[in-house]
Amino acid sequence: MQKIDLFFFYRQTFLIIAQKLSGFGRALYFFADVCSLGLKGKIRLSELMKQIYEQGMQSVVVVALTSAATGIVLALQGYMMLERFGAKEKVASLVALSLVRELSPVFTSLIFSGKAGARVTAELGAMSVNNQITATKVMGVDPLEFLVLPRMLACVLVLPILVVFSQVIGIMGGYLVAVFQADIPGSFYIHQTLRSINYVDFLSGFIKTFFFAILIGWVCCYQGYYTKGGSIGVGHYTTRAVAFAYIFVVLSNTVLTKIILTFWG
Amino acid sequence: MIKISHLYKSLNRELVLKDIDLTINDSEIWVILGQSGVGKSVLLQHMIGLFHPDQGAIEINGLRLDHLTAQQWLDLRRTMGYLFQEGALYDFMTVFENVAFPLQEHTALSVLEIKAKAENILQLVGLEGVERKYPAQLSGGMRKRVALARAVILDSKILFCDEPTSGLDPILSRDISNLIRDISRHFRTTTVIASHDIANAFRIADKVAILKDGQVVAQGTPQEVRASQNDFVREFIH
Ligand SMILES: Nc1ncnc2c1ncn2[C@@H]1O[C@H](COP(=O)(O)OP(=O)(O)OP(=O)(O)O)[C@@H](O)[C@H]1O
Ligand SMILES: [Mg+2]
Repeated sequence: MQKIDLFFFYRQTFLIIAQKLSGFGRALYFFADVCSLGLKGKIRLSELMKQIYEQGMQSVVVVALTSAATGIVLALQGYMMLERFGAKEKVASLVALSLVRELSPVFTSLIFSGKAGARVTAELGAMSVNNQITATKVMGVDPLEFLVLPRMLACVLVLPILVVFSQVIGIMGGYLVAVFQADIPGSFYIHQTLRSINYVDFLSGFIKTFFFAILIGWVCCYQGYYTKGGSIGVGHYTTRAVAFAYIFVVLSNTVLTKIILTFWG
Repeated sequence: MIKISHLYKSLNRELVLKDIDLTINDSEIWVILGQSGVGKSVLLQHMIGLFHPDQGAIEINGLRLDHLTAQQWLDLRRTMGYLFQEGALYDFMTVFENVAFPLQEHTALSVLEIKAKAENILQLVGLEGVERKYPAQLSGGMRKRVALARAVILDSKILFCDEPTSGLDPILSRDISNLIRDISRHFRTTTVIASHDIANAFRIADKVAILKDGQVVAQGTPQEVRASQNDFVREFIH
C-alpha cells in the first residue's frame, strides 16, 4: 500500500516537473522565434510606432507621479539623516545614485508591467480566444510577425526611455526638497547631482532596465499569445502575466545587482 | 478539388473523426451537417492545416497537405478563405481595414485599387456606409458579412464557412445562406460549410454530408440524402 502511494507520488511529481519544463521550453521557443523574426528585419514600422505610442502614453503619467514622489521622499529622509552627521549637502548624491542605480529601473519596470504589460497580454489574449490569431495564420500572415514582434519590441524601446524620464523627474523632486526645505542652493544641488553620477552608475541601471524590458515583453506576449478559455481565460492569463513579470523583475534585479557590483564595484 | 481519404483524428484520447472519405469537386457547395460536438469544425480545420490527421490524407488540387512546404502553404492559403464562427475580425481595425487587410498583405495593388476593390466587395455583401466603423459597433449579422467579404476578397478559389448562421434569427440565417451561395456562384468557389442549420443547408447545397459519431453516415445531393434509409439521417433531417 505504502509502496503504491509512493510510486504514485513520484509519478505525479515527475509529471508536474515534466509539464513545467515543457512549458518553459515552449516559452523559449516562442522567444527565439520572435527574436529571429526581429533579426531578419521583419519589423512592421507602423505597428511598432502605434505600440510605442500606446505603451508609452499609458505609463507616462503614473511613472511621473511615482518618480516625483520617490525623489521627494528620498530627499526628505536623506536630508534628515545626513543633517545629523552634518553632511546635508550630500543629499543630492544620495537621491541621484539611489534613483539611477536602483529605484527608477525597478519601480518603472513594475509600473510598466502593470500597465503596458497587462495591456499587451489582455490584447493578445482577447485576440487568441476570438480566433483572431488563428485567422491571421489562415490568411497567410505570421501572427508572431504581425501581432507579437511589434509589441515585444515596443516594450524594449519604451521602457528604457521611461526609466530615464523617471530618473530626471525623481531628481527634480529631490531638487524641490533641497531648495525649499533644506536651503541648499539649486545650482549646487544640480552640480552635485551631475558630479556624483558617473557612466557606470547610469550604465548599470540601463543594463538592468534592458533585461527587465525583455523579460516583461516576453512574459506578457507569451501569456497573451497562448491564452485559452474565453473571457475568463483572458483575465486569468493577464493577472498571471503581471505576477510573473513582477517576480521576474524583482528576482532578476537581485541577481543582476550582485553581478554588476561584483564586476564594477 | 478537395479529396479526404481515410481520415482519423483523436483529440484528448477521444476518437473525434473516424475514417472520413469525401471528394469535393470544384465549384461545388458542400454542407457538412451534424450535431454539436460531432467534429465539424475539427474536420474543416483539417482542410486548412490547423489540425493534422493521425491517419489518412487530405489532398487539395492534387497536393497532399502533409507534404507541403511553407511556401506552398502560403500560396495555397492565399487561394482559400475561412469564415470563422464568430467572424474573428480584428477589433483594432475598422471594417474597411479588415476587408482590405488580405489585399495589403498579398497583392501589390495601389491604395486606390485596394479601396475600390474593398468597397466593391462590401457592396456585394450588402454593406455600405459602415467602412469606418469598428467590428464592435456592428450587429452579429453585419460582422458575419464583413468576415465573408474578407474571406473572399483575394478571389478565393475555396471558401470554408464554420457555422455561418449560428446565433442569427431565421430571416438573417436565410439571408446569409443565400449570400454565401451567391458569392460562391459569383466567384465560382468551392465552398464547404459546417452547419446544423438543416433547412438552409438543403436549400443552398449541391452536396450534403451528415456526420454522426465522427463518421459520415450519408452523403450526396440533397435529394439523395433525403431518400436515405439510415435511421439517424431520417430522424435528423425530419
Ligand atoms: N482544439 C481542440 N483540442 C482538443 N479537443 C478539441 C479541440 N477542438 C475540438 N475538440 C473536441 O473535438 C470534438 C468535436 O468538436 P467540434 O468543435 O469539431 O464540434 P462541432 O461539430 O463543430 O460542434 P459545434 O456545432 O458545436 O460547433 C469535441 O468533442 C471537442 O471537445
Ligand atoms: Mg463547430
